[in-house]
Amino acid sequence: MHKLIGKALADEYHLNEAEAWELFSDYGIPTPQHQLARSVEEALDAAKRIGYPVVMKIVSRNILHKSDAGGVEVNIMDDEGLSEAYHAIIENVLAYKSDAVIDGILVCEMLKGGLECIIGMTQDASFGPTLMFGLGGIFVEVLEDVSFRVLPLSKEDALSMIYEIKASSLLQGARGQVARDVDAMAELMLKVAIMIEDNPEIKELDINPCFVFEAGGGIMPVDARVML
Amino acid sequence: MVKPETLHAVLNAKTVSVVGASSNPDKTGYQVLKNILDAGYQGRIYPINLKAESILDINCYPSLLDVPEDLDLVVIVVPAAAVPEVMQQAADKNARGAVIISGGFREIGNVELENEVMGIANAHDIAVIGPNCQGINYTPNKLCACWPLLTKRGGMAVIAQSGTIGATMGGWAEDEEIGFSALLALGNKSGVGEIELLDYFASDEETKVIALNIEGVKDGRAFIKTAKSALSKKPVVVLKPGRTRKGAEAAQSHTKSIAGSDKVFEAVCKQTGLIRAEGICEFYDYSKILSMLDAPLGRRMLVITSSGGSGILAADTAEDLGIELKQLSTDIKDRLKEILPNQCVVSNPLDLTGDATANRYMQALDVAITSEVIDCILVIFGDPVHKASDVVRDISSRTDKPIVVAFLGGGDVEKEEVLLMHQAGIPAFPTPERAVRAIGALLKKKNY
Repeated sequence: MHKLIGKALADEYHLNEAEAWELFSDYGIPTPQHQLARSVEEALDAAKRIGYPVVMKIVSRNILHKSDAGGVEVNIMDDEGLSEAYHAIIENVLAYKSDAVIDGILVCEMLKGGLECIIGMTQDASFGPTLMFGLGGIFVEVLEDVSFRVLPLSKEDALSMIYEIKASSLLQGARGQVARDVDAMAELMLKVAIMIEDNPEIKELDINPCFVFEAGGGIMPVDARVML
Repeated sequence: MVKPETLHAVLNAKTVSVVGASSNPDKTGYQVLKNILDAGYQGRIYPINLKAESILDINCYPSLLDVPEDLDLVVIVVPAAAVPEVMQQAADKNARGAVIISGGFREIGNVELENEVMGIANAHDIAVIGPNCQGINYTPNKLCACWPLLTKRGGMAVIAQSGTIGATMGGWAEDEEIGFSALLALGNKSGVGEIELLDYFASDEETKVIALNIEGVKDGRAFIKTAKSALSKKPVVVLKPGRTRKGAEAAQSHTKSIAGSDKVFEAVCKQTGLIRAEGICEFYDYSKILSMLDAPLGRRMLVITSSGGSGILAADTAEDLGIELKQLSTDIKDRLKEILPNQCVVSNPLDLTGDATANRYMQALDVAITSEVIDCILVIFGDPVHKASDVVRDISSRTDKPIVVAFLGGGDVEKEEVLLMHQAGIPAFPTPERAVRAIGALLKKKNY
């Protein structure tokens, strides 16, 4: 069991996003540049280090759906915008849930240019941990165009999950689209699978979205939830 | 876990007792005893009945303890409440296995009674099939301890959670003279389950294909491991009803199965190579073809037909499944045009038209099997073609390419010829769609 999971279980809450990124890093999974800030000053420092534009997200054990709580501000261009966004997020979140425990605000690099994918994990009643893959947005939500495989996962399984979805041609560069880094996506899925196998306390996991860049350009998780 | 050697001893039992044997033809205890006798069982049979001296001309004994020798298999048809005592007696007679046909256990909430019976069985290493099941049938031992009476020996081992689905598979295999190695109804699956049986029949030399009907999987990881291991030895076809929400609810109340997501089970099939059937018909067709033929080397199929309409249906189904109908080479086409009457359509499907005789099929197939762009041949007989079986038997002896038949619209000739084809190891199906779907399943077979 990873130390962060042990700590979260002891405190009876799920991993927050900063902890999820730390867990990911320990398994060699790429994470966006990020820094947890507990004041506007800390946030300014973080943005200076990461470089504008940045994204700011609430970190609270009581808030699972950050956007619903008004806890996300994107495309912040400068110090002034950052200061405004910081206060707005705190205000929104407390209006959404007045007793929310605020652990801070995560300042992240603003990523662009990736095709949005989703990787999820659920526990099946018969087969245990099961990985899901799909393209983001309407592909998963409306068309339910997703594929599943149970763990343990082989590289072949990961690749077949990617090729199985109906919209897979979008990843392979059909109709004037650029071909995406399918291999890096498969590698990511394998690492996620190993992380899940090592930590059976993980009940549910979402990487949504995960950007996949042009072939050779790799992938980058943009948002992650790890439920215990 | 029940050991393979225990299962081997049970299926190859030399001594069988039927506890609750009855002289009343309406009772299961009569039917099962009669089926064991009528199937030609060669071992010794001991019916147990408190009052009767003999049933069906066989000496009865008041209890298992009165039987003069140890027993390999005890078949139990007495009411549930009496089963613990019978199981204890079976243990005293060193029984290797017990088939509990009686119901009235876990399935109606009598969990404690079932646990009591299983406690005795497990303490004495008795393999339990059931309770609440339809029995077992192992043709190499001519042991039909179930109903209906089925005896045709073949290469299909049917492991069925549903007794009716198992009996249906056996019945069709018997009618079509395909045969089966085993029919096992699992019932409540308290003792022997699909894991042990998959493992056992993977190594059973009589068995060419395993047909597995389950409603739920208890230990998914163990299932995957065993399935992969079995699939490294022979094909496994799986029928798992409960694909939909309503179906899953029905499965849950039928056998208290754990219903995982069907999408996840579908994924498991892809990961392991399990060949999934949607309904009983495909379950049978896939098992049948897989027990008879090796996989073609590729996905290119030639369709030869006397019925244009049937040829189109075959082409449709083939395209749905990604089976290719390539055009024959100019050279082969020219040779076909030379020997065939003008009305024939020399293409793929190759339409020999409604007046085609066995001789015309033979001439066309003779040329067609030399083609390098086909991996398998579907021969459709759409009329009462006499001696059709002679043609396909002769052709399949001269080529490694699998030959599959669809025979329809052939009346009594069809019935006769289809059986002759099956005897020769050539699978025939009643529609082109079923034949092509079966070929689709055959394409999933590995080289063993």
